[in-house]
Amino acid sequence: MTTLRPFTCDDLFKFNNVNFDPLTETYGLSFYTQYLAKWPEYFQLAESPSGQIMGYIMGKVEGHLDNWHGHVTALTVSPDYRRLGLAALLMSFLEDISEKKRAYFVDLFVRKSNQVAINMYTNLGYIIYRTILEYYSGDQDEDAYDMRKALSRDVNKKSVIPYTQPITMRELRRQMRHDH
Amino acid sequence: MAHQQGMDSTLFERRLRPVYDNLEVGNNRKALQESEKLLRKHPTLLCARALKGLSLLRLGRYDESHGCLQTVAEEKPTDDSTLQVLSFCYREMEQLDKIVELYQHAVKQNPGNEELLAHLFISHVRVEDYKAQQAVALQLYKAQPKNAYYFWSVISVVFQGIRGPESALPEKRKIYLGLAQRMVDKHIKEGKMETEQEAFLYLHILKLQNKYQEAWEFLTGELCAKLYPGAPVSMKFELLKELGNWRELNELLQQLLDADRDRWDFYKEYIQSSFELLRLSTQGVQNGEKDSLARCQEFLQGIIDSSERKKRGPYLARLELHQRMRAEQLPAEKLIGDFDEMVIEYFRLFGDKSCCTHDIALFLPSISMNQRQALASKLLLESGVTSTSLPKNKEQLQKHLCALQISRMCGSHMDLPVDHLLAFYTALKLHYEHGRSTFGKKLLATEMGPSDAYALLAANVMYDLSRRENKSDHLFEALCLLQYVLRNSTSNFHVKLLSLKIYHLFGCQVGAQEMYEYLDIKQIQLDSMGYVHCQLLPLGGRFSGNRNVYDATLKFFTNSYKERLEYIALTYRFCTFSKMEEFMNFKERLTNSLQYVACSVEAQICDLVGCYGNITQNLTAYVAMSIEPAEDRIAWHELSDNRDLEAIIRWDPLHEVDAAEERKESFDQEVEVLQVRSLMLRLFASFIDLYHGAGLKDSAPGTETTTLELLRESWTGLFQRLRLMHYKPLAQKFLVNLLPTRLHLLLDMPYERFFDDLAQLVLDLQSGSGKLAEQCKRVGDNVITVMELCVQTINESNESNGMDGLWKRRGNQQKVAATLEMLSLYAFLLSVLNDKLQVSSKTKAKKKPVENKVDGPQPISEKERSQMLQELMRQLKHKLEACDAAIRTWKAPVLPRDLSSFMSDMSLKPEVEATLIGDVSATFKDSHELMITELRNLLKDKIRMVAK
Repeated sequence: MTTLRPFTCDDLFKFNNVNFDPLTETYGLSFYTQYLAKWPEYFQLAESPSGQIMGYIMGKVEGHLDNWHGHVTALTVSPDYRRLGLAALLMSFLEDISEKKRAYFVDLFVRKSNQVAINMYTNLGYIIYRTILEYYSGDQDEDAYDMRKALSRDVNKKSVIPYTQPITMRELRRQMRHDH
Repeated sequence: MAHQQGMDSTLFERRLRPVYDNLEVGNNRKALQESEKLLRKHPTLLCARALKGLSLLRLGRYDESHGCLQTVAEEKPTDDSTLQVLSFCYREMEQLDKIVELYQHAVKQNPGNEELLAHLFISHVRVEDYKAQQAVALQLYKAQPKNAYYFWSVISVVFQGIRGPESALPEKRKIYLGLAQRMVDKHIKEGKMETEQEAFLYLHILKLQNKYQEAWEFLTGELCAKLYPGAPVSMKFELLKELGNWRELNELLQQLLDADRDRWDFYKEYIQSSFELLRLSTQGVQNGEKDSLARCQEFLQGIIDSSERKKRGPYLARLELHQRMRAEQLPAEKLIGDFDEMVIEYFRLFGDKSCCTHDIALFLPSISMNQRQALASKLLLESGVTSTSLPKNKEQLQKHLCALQISRMCGSHMDLPVDHLLAFYTALKLHYEHGRSTFGKKLLATEMGPSDAYALLAANVMYDLSRRENKSDHLFEALCLLQYVLRNSTSNFHVKLLSLKIYHLFGCQVGAQEMYEYLDIKQIQLDSMGYVHCQLLPLGGRFSGNRNVYDATLKFFTNSYKERLEYIALTYRFCTFSKMEEFMNFKERLTNSLQYVACSVEAQICDLVGCYGNITQNLTAYVAMSIEPAEDRIAWHELSDNRDLEAIIRWDPLHEVDAAEERKESFDQEVEVLQVRSLMLRLFASFIDLYHGAGLKDSAPGTETTTLELLRESWTGLFQRLRLMHYKPLAQKFLVNLLPTRLHLLLDMPYERFFDDLAQLVLDLQSGSGKLAEQCKRVGDNVITVMELCVQTINESNESNGMDGLWKRRGNQQKVAATLEMLSLYAFLLSVLNDKLQVSSKTKAKKKPVENKVDGPQPISEKERSQMLQELMRQLKHKLEACDAAIRTWKAPVLPRDLSSFMSDMSLKPEVEATLIGDVSATFKDSHELMITELRNLLKDKIRMVAK
């Protein structure tokens, strides 16, 4: 049971019950404000009937030509509101917006070890498109899966023909630069 | 010149690179050298001169930097890089109007230059000059007919109507909004509207003028569908409501709910529209038309019956309908059924979800206390867990938890006798342990344990017991339990928050600090969550140890303060009209955060209290703080409460909790505390400035003491007012309630008198008043009082330690900290006065004889004054030593009960139990020792300060 609404600056003061979760990063202000200013409709929040923040999704739309796509930057659900299908709801919202913006596909990066999330995205129709080597830096670097789901504009599902080889961060950056 | 530079711009760029690079990594000295090197070869290179100014600014050589930047600005540069560097400097120095000037000059020399105009526009945005924004945007549009520029001018007109200086006048507002609308109308007519944000802005303008019908037509029209396909459906609700078109709203919502059956926002509107329809159609019923509430109920039931996978939505909506019908004295039960039955059904279906408690809690306030408690018992029964049985699976465990949480919310635990509550606590503990060992074995490090909430509840129960008995042992046991839980589920932030609270309540700052670090509070959380730690540190018992926490917090605030306007500029750059006002309000909220202001003041007080250098060093440090006593820099009416008080989970009896009232009360008191603290700081600074102030040279003779006297008046006036306000200490009813503010501490300790008398002393000393000796005596007596308070508090603490070392610990530490704060500031003041008097008695010979007033007593000679001062210093030294002696005897808190038997009823392995209790005890011991060391070091420094 959810209210979906755009994420606002004031929510930054209230999202602690979500952000205290160890898998949710609290970024610097400029990160949030950049997303809010640039892709306001891609930053949505789910609110409970009691007014608590249940979770939120943060994303963007970018890329050239047939690489024009929606991207999920962060998706998080408070521990109190798990197993309610909330992540699916937020994802479908983002896919819907991307459809309306005539994007070809939606993609996201996930830790290779985060099996819970990978299963969830698979259930939502995402495939593992490729592996990105050492995408997450930390005490121990970790690879990421780049997962994708084609949208209706990609009639021939060209965007979801998986790579067979993993790519490095350097290659990824080069591709992204190329895209902008 | 611009041309000259333009010719070899790549060459210069390469030469400038090292300066930029060094600045970027913070190597400012090197950057300065590099810029000077470059200037030797190219003395006229403006950008290099600007960069030199920036390097100097970063090095804190402000005067040189100003001079340097000024000469560059005077040459009215037009090249982008120089302008960028200069605006950057002016932004750092908060001289935003200078950026405007800079670009105005540049534009004048290059009329129609798009890039410069755009910079000029943003420079107006920074100072919120909407009128100027509008003019520049139009120039831009003329130079480059881009939609963005056109709509920049439109939004600038809108802001003149709703935010600018004229927005308070309704007729002006009307004119501006009308103009903005016409501007967009024209654009639409010419077929030039292109983006969704433009469409949004148009809708916004129409709504601001209450032109809802036009807005509706636009929103549902072709153009909007094409440009703004993602328009939130809530816009439609809003407009239909404004238009009173409840029928259409009702039908729209039914459609939406058919497709999306779990949307609370839809149900809420749907139910409201049903009630509105009922109101409209009281006559319609006679025509055989069905009651709209009956249709609503049927619709909800239909969703329930036809859904395969059970969703909470329609069930909660039904409860909401029930609740609202009862509120309007309508026959809810007849239409929908028995309320309790419905809640129980809900519990049966969703009790295994952790959100079930929040859901049911929504509807509890609408029923009587008796009904609540009866319902709670039914739920407990329904959970199937009894006093003799344990949950069979995770789902049942969660249901049991939910029922227990609801029971507490219904007040079922509050009247139980002590032994009953203790038994309840033991049961919760066992349930925790059972749940952990049975269902929590394969927990990921990032997950919370399935039974953790038993322990959280247990901690709350133990607080109730402790409070009832005014004894700490139960709560201490709860703390150990929480620490045990934390070992098993390292990521449970609820446990950390409650532990943090208990550590503070017991005055254990080391433990609190540990929990705080464990929570990894950062960025904006430093503002919204600072109240759990940072706010509790001042006068908590330590001084220097707190500085790091203040620093981390202030670093976030100063950075965001610097960046605050760039966020808004960003919304213009991306033409995000829907976010502009939001960003502007956010900026206000952040810059006026009480946490920010309070933390800045406390950090300054902390520095003054803690200064330990020689007199010159101390005064340099003092000057660098640039306190302007005459100037009240706090925007008292704008202060903003950014605390996220809901982050801490609670299940306290709903009828005893008034979150809004608690927020208001505590905020009001915190503001008063800030009043006292900031005034104390300014008053104290005015003492110092009277002797060492740079500003004094400017003040007319005879007015040097004006500021001090005014502040002193405010000081006593403030205390008078505060005493009349009769604030009550914040109620400590439940564990989650906020700790008392420092307001009563500040009122109860002799702050008022101490600083008031110091003010007189400083004045008398300056004038050489005949009453100086008397005043010295008064101040000396105050010092004795303060010292005795310190000693007495420590003695009391030691005496009660055997009975209960923790319950009053925080209060005692606060008192001792307050006494040392006063004495430390006094010591600093005496050292400054003494320094001045010694200097002036040495240079006395040079002075012209002061013309003697014909009548009136002769001022006391400087030598005599100096002697009296020496006497005060001697006395203070003596009293500080007495404090130190007392602190040396301050005993570490005796912890409750026999520790070894303390968790014996838990099925803990002995080695776990031993290390657990050992760790908690060690934390308390460390905290005490660290505090003693810090306080003694502080005293040592002060004794040294007045010993000369």
